[in-house]
Amino acid sequence: MNRQRDHEIARGGTGKVATHSVATAPSVASPLSPLSCRPPHSDARFAGVLVSPTLLVIALVAIFPLGWTVWESLHRHDLRLPWLGRPFVGLDNYVRIAHDPRFWGALAHTAFFTGVTVSLELVLGLVFALAMNRAFRGRGLVRVAVLVPWAIPTVVAALLWRFIFGANAGIANAVLADLGVIHHPVVWFVHAATAWVPVILADVWKTTPFVALLLLAGLQNIDHALYEAAAVDGAGPWWQLTRITIPLLRPAILLVLIFRTLDAFRVFDLIYVLTGGGPGTSTEPLALYTFNALLQNLQFGYGAALSVVIFLITFGLALLYIKGLGAGVTGVSQ
Amino acid sequence: MVITYSGSAVGTQGQIVKEQIARFMSLHPDIVVKVQSSPDDATKRHQLFVQWLNAHVGDPDVLELDVIWTPEFAAAGWILPLDRFAPHPSDFFPAAITANTWDGHLFAIPWYVGVGLLYWRTDLLKHPPASMRELVTLAQKGMREPGGPPYGIVWQGARYEGLITTFVEYLGGFGGEIMDDSGRVVVDSPQAIRALTFMRDEITRSHVAPPEVLTWHEEEGRFAFQNGDAVFMRNWPYAYALLSDSTKSRVAGHFAVSTMPPGPGGHAAAALGGAELAINRYSEHADSAYALVQYLTAPAQMLERAQATGDYPTRPALYDDPRLARALAVPIDQVREAIEHAVPRPVTPIYTQLSGLLQVQLHRALTGQTTPADALHQAARAMTAVIRESGLDRAREASGEGAPSGEQR
Amino acid sequence: MSQRVSGPEEARRASPSRPRKPFLTQRLTDILTHSSLASRLALGILVLLTAFPLYWAVVASFTPTATLFRQPSLWPTHFILDHYRALFTTRDFWLPIRNSIVVAGSTTIFCVVVGSLSAYALARLHFRGKGPILGFILAVSMFPQISIVSPLYLLLRALHLINTYPGLILPYLTFAMPLTVWLLVGYFRQLPRDLEEAALVDGASRWQSFTKVILPLSVPGLATTAILTFIYSWNEFLFALSFTVGPSRQTVPVAIALFRGQYQVPWGEILAAAVVATVPVAVMVLAFQRRIVQGLTAGAVKG
Repeated sequence: MNRQRDHEIARGGTGKVATHSVATAPSVASPLSPLSCRPPHSDARFAGVLVSPTLLVIALVAIFPLGWTVWESLHRHDLRLPWLGRPFVGLDNYVRIAHDPRFWGALAHTAFFTGVTVSLELVLGLVFALAMNRAFRGRGLVRVAVLVPWAIPTVVAALLWRFIFGANAGIANAVLADLGVIHHPVVWFVHAATAWVPVILADVWKTTPFVALLLLAGLQNIDHALYEAAAVDGAGPWWQLTRITIPLLRPAILLVLIFRTLDAFRVFDLIYVLTGGGPGTSTEPLALYTFNALLQNLQFGYGAALSVVIFLITFGLALLYIKGLGAGVTGVSQ
Repeated sequence: MVITYSGSAVGTQGQIVKEQIARFMSLHPDIVVKVQSSPDDATKRHQLFVQWLNAHVGDPDVLELDVIWTPEFAAAGWILPLDRFAPHPSDFFPAAITANTWDGHLFAIPWYVGVGLLYWRTDLLKHPPASMRELVTLAQKGMREPGGPPYGIVWQGARYEGLITTFVEYLGGFGGEIMDDSGRVVVDSPQAIRALTFMRDEITRSHVAPPEVLTWHEEEGRFAFQNGDAVFMRNWPYAYALLSDSTKSRVAGHFAVSTMPPGPGGHAAAALGGAELAINRYSEHADSAYALVQYLTAPAQMLERAQATGDYPTRPALYDDPRLARALAVPIDQVREAIEHAVPRPVTPIYTQLSGLLQVQLHRALTGQTTPADALHQAARAMTAVIRESGLDRAREASGEGAPSGEQR
Repeated sequence: MSQRVSGPEEARRASPSRPRKPFLTQRLTDILTHSSLASRLALGILVLLTAFPLYWAVVASFTPTATLFRQPSLWPTHFILDHYRALFTTRDFWLPIRNSIVVAGSTTIFCVVVGSLSAYALARLHFRGKGPILGFILAVSMFPQISIVSPLYLLLRALHLINTYPGLILPYLTFAMPLTVWLLVGYFRQLPRDLEEAALVDGASRWQSFTKVILPLSVPGLATTAILTFIYSWNEFLFALSFTVGPSRQTVPVAIALFRGQYQVPWGEILAAAVVATVPVAVMVLAFQRRIVQGLTAGAVKG
């Protein structure tokens, strides 16, 4: 009776009266279930109120700018050449992209970087996840050790690796020389092939922990009974790995693949700091090329077209994965 | 009232600027000047300035520009034409005024000039090289001396504006140019290909230049030379004072300067560099900003700066002052002549874009990703395309001179 | 899964291992999956490899520049504080730190407050379009930042927000908002339904059940979300680089990245700054490692 009144008042919006007694568990079951005591549309209206600020914000800062980028990409707009104005040029910028060797180079570098880092991180991450998936002392230490590289700014990670691979004072050269691997200091950043080494190492260093943790979460969901049954059947560890662990880990692996691929594909900070895209443009990824077109050369039309291309590729990759993985993804994320 | 100065603010240069600004503030108690340091890597500073000015905010008010940026910033409408302050252009070197003039208006006051110099070790060699060929043989000779340095020559070879200044000097030595007088891109001429091939051979054939130079800016080269690790160094005048400081430099008293020698078919060439002071168009305190510019570029401050850093003043009148002769340590006539014959880089509002295209291709050739000829052909093609698309060449044909007016925005 | 601790050991002993793979691979997986020693070794290597660059940065940041470039040594020879002193006196590194705290802090607070509302709705309420909204939010979190940099730049310029705190916080919402919503939805879903239903039965409104039941229960989840959002915002680089003008509003990553290329090539100061920038996140990681791992693996979002 009293309860009913509180309920009404609270629904009316004053909200003050109901401050007591809510958290206590009910001792008497109410004849009315919570769902049936209000019409179904009330939830929807309330949900709308709750969700709309978020959607509004996202629309303002993400969707609207994206639309703007698409529109801008159909114009010639060089902020440095104000006398040219901002003429509509249709798909001209996209045609230019198709004939731009630097774009194709950047695309190839991005794909290369993505392929190499994601596969390395997946394999290493799996190895470390398997190792971590055993109860042992010092687990906290390992967790901290792997989390710190993940948590520090990418810019900082890139600077550390740039320092490590410096030609003169770099510790990498010193260590390799001590080991007898090299006899002269290697100038890592002047050859296309060697410049990739610090770039890839830095990314693997920073991101493998994240991959390992995700896979570890997946591993912990696997029922041990499966392994026991397999062991009873006389299955070896390889069989167990390929027939039990990896198949059951599939959702986690797919998740890792999605996040890491999309992430690696938009790599910017790391290469901006480590190589600046050099030597020449041989480590320049798409995001850096686009950034240069936009904020260095102020070619907003052309840069916007490049942005749209990156967006479409990312979107395509995401779709491809989600299609490929099907419902598997949601399995782990919940 | 607070105004902001943004420029080089580290090292000796930063020190002297801060001192002079402090004095300026005591002369003008109503003005507070905040010093904002910005990267000294010219390419990075340029990118930042472009971003800032393009944001149309009034801060920073006073900018230290590289000599090649003025036309670009003026044409884009980012810096203030200085006519209303009635400056005296005739007090400065004409070349420096030309570089800072766009569409008939002066947009920046020349602050100091830089010319590319060849630093050489007097303890290893008896005389500077008279030709490019001799540059290499002397470098090899110096390296072979007992206890000789590991490097023959160091220059600015990272992919940034400094690489262009190095290239301009080799290019002049072999008789080439980036753009000819009619504004056509001629950077893939046979002379230019020979010049770039020569630079590459210094690294890969005669091994006088270490591959590291391809990641080096001015300072890495200076460190190497200062530690006694190189026979020659291509650098700006600022290094002179630092290298003479015997507490930090191992080569103090054992080096001298000259210009880059001529190669076959060319002439001794020194790149023209230097810094200018300009005012942000969106500055809310343009008058105070100009007062600061005027103060920093006044003869007394220029002389003081020359004494502290070795930077060359932009006022010819100062070159008759014995105090300057004492300050510079390089024979003053030599300096003056070097300035008057220095090679300017192309004066165009799209310079940095052209330079960016050229930097990439030079770096590709020097790092062995392609041949010098291929690199320069590609650079020329790309640069020509950019000029065509900018509408600058059509405007020149139509009006007979110059580029379109920066006023029609 | 908790009851079988000794399972793998038993399995190894019992297994006659089917010889279907080459010896080496067989052996390797055998080692990895079953040998406690080997996995400890692997973990030891992992810890060493991850720790080494950080260790080296710390050592180098205390080493005089001259020593650093003459003869780099893995073991500190003599410690100096010069680089740190220079960092906080001549470079005024407090400024970027303050900027980062303001920007990352405001972003986090805004996102957690606004995000928890919609996360509650998405996790607990029944309404149509929930699936698509969740999918949409997830999709936005995968946006390449570079795709919206130019319009945001023009937008902020038009609003005179370049080089202001709001001018950074607003763009940060593009990645922080989806992140918080996604993490909190995952968290709210895990909470038992009984308590909330009991409250509703007791006559509480949805809003009351959210504020009085769900929120108090969610303090750990909210904290985790806040920490992760803060870390992502603290580390952001592209927007901070694009939308600030000069040091007055530069965040820590931008300030550090632009150290490079200054005349002195101040590696000592760069590394000192790197260490300083790492400390706050390292402290958070130390303090909340378990939560962070839970948050990461539950939401599985990486920006």
